[in-house]
Amino acid sequence: MKTTSVLPYLWTLLTISLITFIGIFLTPFFDLLNIALLYLLPVMISAVYWGRVPSFFASFVGVMAFDFFIVPPIYDLKPQDIRYLFTFAIYMLVAIVISTMAATLRDELEKTRKSERLTATLYALSRQMAAVTDLQQIWVSLVNTITEAIEGKIIFMLPDADNNQLIEVASSPASATLSSGKQLDIAHCVLEQGKNADSRTGVLGKSPTFFLPVRVENRTLAVLAVTPETEDESISPEQNQMLEAFTNLAAVGLLRVQLAKEAEKAKLLSESEKLHTALLNSVSHEIRTPLASITGAVTSLLEGGVISQESRDILLRTIKEEAQRMNRFTSNLLDMTRLESGMLKPNLDWCDLQDIIGVAIREIKDILQNHNLQINIPAGLPLVKTDFALIEHVVINLLENAVKYSPPEGEISISVQQRDKEILFSIINSGLVIPVQDRKYVFDKFYRLHASKNRAGIGLGLSICKGIIEAHKGKIWVESSEQNKNCFIFALPVLDQPLRPFGDIQGEENVV
Amino acid sequence: MSSDGARVLVIDDEKQIRRMLNIALTGNGFNIAEAATGNDGLNQAIVFHPDIIILDLGLPDCDGHEVISKLREWTQIPIIILSVREQESEKITALDAGADDYITKPFSIGELLARIRVALRRSVKTVDEPILAFGEISLDIARRIVTLKGEELKLTPTEYEILKYMALKADRVVTQQQLLRAIWGPNHQEHTHYLRIYIGQLRHKIEADPTQPRYILTEAGIGYRLVKDSYIKGN
Repeated sequence: MKTTSVLPYLWTLLTISLITFIGIFLTPFFDLLNIALLYLLPVMISAVYWGRVPSFFASFVGVMAFDFFIVPPIYDLKPQDIRYLFTFAIYMLVAIVISTMAATLRDELEKTRKSERLTATLYALSRQMAAVTDLQQIWVSLVNTITEAIEGKIIFMLPDADNNQLIEVASSPASATLSSGKQLDIAHCVLEQGKNADSRTGVLGKSPTFFLPVRVENRTLAVLAVTPETEDESISPEQNQMLEAFTNLAAVGLLRVQLAKEAEKAKLLSESEKLHTALLNSVSHEIRTPLASITGAVTSLLEGGVISQESRDILLRTIKEEAQRMNRFTSNLLDMTRLESGMLKPNLDWCDLQDIIGVAIREIKDILQNHNLQINIPAGLPLVKTDFALIEHVVINLLENAVKYSPPEGEISISVQQRDKEILFSIINSGLVIPVQDRKYVFDKFYRLHASKNRAGIGLGLSICKGIIEAHKGKIWVESSEQNKNCFIFALPVLDQPLRPFGDIQGEENVV
Repeated sequence: MSSDGARVLVIDDEKQIRRMLNIALTGNGFNIAEAATGNDGLNQAIVFHPDIIILDLGLPDCDGHEVISKLREWTQIPIIILSVREQESEKITALDAGADDYITKPFSIGELLARIRVALRRSVKTVDEPILAFGEISLDIARRIVTLKGEELKLTPTEYEILKYMALKADRVVTQQQLLRAIWGPNHQEHTHYLRIYIGQLRHKIEADPTQPRYILTEAGIGYRLVKDSYIKGN
C-alpha cells in the first residue's frame, strides 16, 4: 500500500495538467462549461482505482486548475464573473457524488473479490480435508493455507495419547515454537475449555499470540496458535472468521480420519476375529472328532472286555484312518499358514503331471477305494515347470473333495489335456452340485456350502489349491459339466520345453 | 544273517517315538538301543555295534546330516532317516551325505520293517546276481535282456541303464542326483527333466497303468524307488 500511496496524487496532478493544457487551447472554441466537464474525468478514474481520498484530491485540484488557468481572468483565483462560483460548487458536488459512488463500488468489488478468494481457499481446504487419509496431511494443509492468508507464526498442536501434553506437530515457519511456558499454559486452557484466548497481556515487547481451539461436536481435538507479524499485530474480525472457518474444516478432517482409522481397525479386528473363530471352531472340530474316534477305539480295546477279532480289526483300522485324517488336516493347516505368511515359495522343477497324479492317488488310495476312479491322460503331454509336492497337494485336495461330495461307488474322473499354452487338469464328480452363485466363493477360506455344513472339513482345502495354483501363475475354477456333476479345473502354463538329452533318439532300439 | 536278532540303534529326541519303536522292533525280534541326542547316538554307534541305525532328522543338539557324515567317516552301517513332510531338502542332503533310505512321519511299522529288511539285505549282499527279477519283469545283466511276462521288451540303451541302476538298488530310494550322475555323468546334475522323459517312457513300456505305476514309484521331490518287495509302498 505504501508504494502506491503517492502514485494516485502524482497521476492526478499530471492528468489535470494535461487537461488544463488542452483546455487552454480549446478555450477559444468551446464553452467553458464543456471544459469543466473534462475535469471530472480524473476524479472518476481516481475514485475507481484508488478510492475516496485521491478522488477528492482530484476534485479539489481540478477546480483550482480550472479557476486559475481557464476561467478569466487567467492566473487569478478570483473569477471575473461571480456566477462561476456557482459553477465551481456544482462541479464539486458532482465530483464528490461521483467519487463516493465509484469508491463504494470499488469497495464492494474488493469485498466480493476477497470473499471469493476466501471461498476458493475454503473450498480447496475442504477438498483437501475430504481427501486426506493421514493426519499429518491435515495439519500441514491447514498451516499452509493459513500462512497464505495471514503473515506470522502459525503453530498447530495436538494432545498426546494421554491427553495431557500438547505436541507441536506443524508450524510455519518450520522453526516456530511457542515462546514461553505461559503461552503453553494458555494453549492448555484452550484445549480444556474449547474457547479462544490470546496472550495480548503477555510478555512486553512480544507480539500477541492468538489461540484457537480446533473443535468438533463439543470436543477439542487440537489447538492452533497464530502470532500475526503485521503492523498492528492483531487479527481483524474477518481474519478471525476465516481462521474459524479453517479450523472447523480441519476439525472435520481430523475427525473423519480418526473415524476412518477406527473403522479400519474395527474391520481388521472383526476379520481376524472371524478368522480366529472359524479356525478355532474348525480346528477343535477337526481334531476332536478323530481324537474322539481314536480314544473310543483305544479304550474299547483296553477296557472293553471280550471283543471279537473282527471288531478288533475294525477298531484298529478306525484308529489308523482317523490318525491319517488328522495328519492331512495338519498338513492343510500348515500349508494355509505358509500361504498366508508368504512363506510358501514353489520349488520349481520340470514335472510330469501324470507322475504327480500317480503319487497323489497312491497317497490317498485308502479313501479312494470305494469310488470308481477313471483316469484319462494322453501320452506325449509336455512337462510342466512346477513344485511337485505342492501340485500333488492340490490334486490330493481336489480328489478328497470329490470323494467327500460324491455318493459311494460314485464315479470320479480325472483327465489332462493340452490347450494352446496351457495344460488343463480336470476332475469331475457326481453328487452335491455347487450352485452357480456359490461358485466364485468356493475357493475362499473357510467358505462352505450351506448344504455341506454337516460334513467334515473346514473349507481350507480349495483355498489352499487356489493359493498354490496362483503361486504357479495358473488358474483354478469350477464349472458344471453336466447335470449333477461338478468339474474342478486347474490350468498351468506350458513353457518352452527343455532340450532333450544329447544323443537321445526317440524310438532308438535296444542294443540286444 | 537274518534280521532276527539284528541290532537297531534308534536316535530320536522324542521319548514317545523311541518307546513305540522299541516295543514294535523288539516284538519283531530286533535288539534295540536308544539315544536321545546326536552325540549320544554317535557314542552308542561305537559301543552298541548296531547293524542298522534309525536317525531322526530333527535332533536338538546337532543336524541329522552332521551325524551321518561323522558315522560315514568310519562305518557303512545302513542308516534310515525319520523325517516330516516339510523337510524335502534336508532329506536330500541326508541321502547325499550317505543315508540309505528315509521314511516320513507318520509312518506305519510295516513300512519301517520293510525298509529295515531292505537296508540289512543290502549290507550283507556280496555276490552280484546275474538276473534281477521283480514282479513279472526280469533283467538279465549279462545278456542285457529285459523281459515282461516272458516277452522281451525293447528298451533304448538309456532306458536299460536306468532300469538296471534302479533294479540293483531295488526297494531303496534312488535320488535324482544319484541317477543323473550314474547315467549321464556329473555334468548333468541339474537336468532333472531327462529323468521325467525317460522314467515316463519306461513306465509306458513296463507298467500296466503308467498313471498308477507298480514298479517305478516316484518319491516326491526326492527321487524314485523301484519296488520289488510288494511290502514297500514308498513314501
